[in-house]
Formats: sequence, structure tokens, C-alpha cells
Amino acid sequence: MLEFLVCPLSKKPLRYEASTNELINEELGIAYAIIDGIPNMIPQAARTTHQNKKQEEMEQH
Amino acid sequence: MAAPRTCGLWSYCGRGLSRAKRNCGLPGLRSSWPWGPLGARLLSQEKRATETHFGFETVSEEEKGGKVYQVFESVAKKYDVMNDMMSLGIHRVWKDLLLRKMHPLPGTQLLDVAGGTGDIAFRFLNYVQAQHQGKQKKQLRAQQNLSWEEIAKKYQNEEDSLGGSLVMVCDINREMLKVGKQKAFDRGYKAGLAWVLGDAEELPFDDDKFDVYTIAFGIRNVTHIDRALQEAHRVLKPGGRFLCLEFSQVNNPLISSFQVIPVLGEVVAGDWKSYQYLVESIRKFPSQEAFKEMIEDAGFQKVTYESLTSGIVAIHSGFKL
Repeated sequence: MLEFLVCPLSKKPLRYEASTNELINEELGIAYAIIDGIPNMIPQAARTTHQNKKQEEMEQH
Repeated sequence: MAAPRTCGLWSYCGRGLSRAKRNCGLPGLRSSWPWGPLGARLLSQEKRATETHFGFETVSEEEKGGKVYQVFESVAKKYDVMNDMMSLGIHRVWKDLLLRKMHPLPGTQLLDVAGGTGDIAFRFLNYVQAQHQGKQKKQLRAQQNLSWEEIAKKYQNEEDSLGGSLVMVCDINREMLKVGKQKAFDRGYKAGLAWVLGDAEELPFDDDKFDVYTIAFGIRNVTHIDRALQEAHRVLKPGGRFLCLEFSQVNNPLISSFQVIPVLGEVVAGDWKSYQYLVESIRKFPSQEAFKEMIEDAGFQKVTYESLTSGIVAIHSGFKL
């Protein structure tokens, strides 16, 4: 059923991250959590991922 | 009409809800004062664009969402019981009628928005399962002379009893979804059912995805109804159907739920305020004709409505063509 879901803000597909049980929007750098088997697709509840910071670090090196 | 007592109760219990009270107007009287809300608007010109109603109260749009969330959070566990009490069980008939109108065939993809406790979803699953079984029986009767290969195949395949049907239940309130999920578990609904925490104004689905979109007794709680309607239009497939079951303007002036429902709310659920909100939100919802126009504005065509039970509720239907 997770294939149905897209990011509510950008309507783009999401990547499922099994380790954190989240649906991640790479582009915007936000992650939607799945709690008790129910994905939380409320934009305000999503957390920003640290991927942007990681990219900056890699560029500096 | 127990007027002074109501006013006292209102200002006592409504302390949490009420903000700047312009006058201790009785809720009943305020509804017949056409210039009441206008007066409020004149006072705060700047906020005019972002104010909306929370029942009879004027709140900013950011607040309405939060307040509605709190209402449903507190009623979630007693939601079904209260529905039975307030409508004397008739809400089941209304929902059955909604399904009959929908007449989904196996293979239908349904999106049920604000469907937290699963009433529409379960009915949908029952309906398509019955349809599918009916089809299979007809097939059996027609195919009395099967070859051994075909018979063997039937035993091998784990046939999908729903024929590919799927219902996605989307609700903004976690408590309501939890109640729904528990009900599904208790009643043995597993296949073809998914639960999502989502906002009706910003659905987490791609365009042209669903055959049917339903919202039963949910749309009056949405802050921006027009946005919810636009999202509904977006996620439906071309040819898809929008169905809305909602409280409406009553034809019969003798019916007045206004005083009874909050009292019932206090007695059964111990929650007077939430049911006061319910009654007021019903009063504030546009008439059948006005809502029809809103649906047309969102791009739907062949929009019709059917009033049930003297207009207590109405089913609006529109198509994305």
C-alpha cells in the first residue's frame, strides 16, 4: 500500500527507508514517519532529514 | 425554552472555547441574527481574510484545525456510540444508502477521507465482497463442464475475494484512525484496507488515482472546503466519482436538535463542549444548493444531491469527466 503514497507537498514519489521506518522525500529533505503501521503524511509532522548537511560536508572535503 | 440556563452553561463550559465575547448572546438567538458575524468582522478588519468559524465562534484559520482536532481526539472512543444515540441508529441507514448509491464493482479503488472509524470502508468491503461472490456463483453455474485442468487451477489459486478492490482510509486525526484500525482487527477486515494519516486539503496521493472519493460527515470540519474539493478532484481518475454525505439544512422546522444533542453528549460521552461544536458546525454548513455550487467550482460535473430524512443529511455526487 505504500506505493500509493506521495509527498503531500510536492506530490512526488517517496522512498521507503526500512531502518527508520520512514517515507523519505529526497528532494525536499523531509521524512514521514510510520507509527503503528499508519504513515503520518501530515506536512507539519514530517521531520527534516540530515541529508542536506551531509551534502555540505562532502562538498567541503 | 430554558434560555437563561443555556446561556449560563455556555459561558461556564465554553470558557476553554470562547475568546473575546462580544455579547453573551444565546446560541439560539445568535443564529437568527444575520448581522451578528458581520459585526465581528467590522471590529477586526485586518483579520477578515483569515478568519473562519468554529461552530458559532469566529477563530483564525490556523486555530480551527487545532480545535477540530481536539474535538475529535476527545470523542474518538465514543464516536460510534454517540452516532447511534444522536441519530437513533439512522446514521447506519444513511451510510448504507451512500454505498448503494456508489454501487462499487469489484476492482474499485476507493479513497475514504475523514473516514477515521471505518464505517464507510467496512461497508465498502462488504459490498464488493458480496458482489464478487455473486459473480463467482454465476460463473460456477455457467461453467458446469470444467476440464480437470481448470478444476485443479481453482484449488491452486488463492483467489482474491475482493476482486482487486481497495479502500484507503485517510483521516487527519490519529485517535480516530486508531479506533478504526482496532475495529477492523476485531471484525476481521484485513485485505484491501489501508490507513493513512493525512490532510484532506493536502492529500498524499498522486493525480488520477482513485475511482471513488467519499467523505462522510467530515467536510464540514475542514478549514478550507474549497481546497479539499480541489484535492478530491485531483486524485480522482477521469470518470471518477465524488460522494459526500453530510448534515444539511432541514426542511422540517419542527426538528430541533440544537438543545438535545449537547445534553446527550454530556450524558453519554461526558463531553458537552464537543457536541456543542457538532451542532453549531451543522448549522454553519452551507445549504444543499450552495454546496453543490462549491463542488461545481472545483471542476466536478453532473453534480446532484439527494436529501435524506427531511433534509437532515444530504448526499452530494459529482463526476470528474
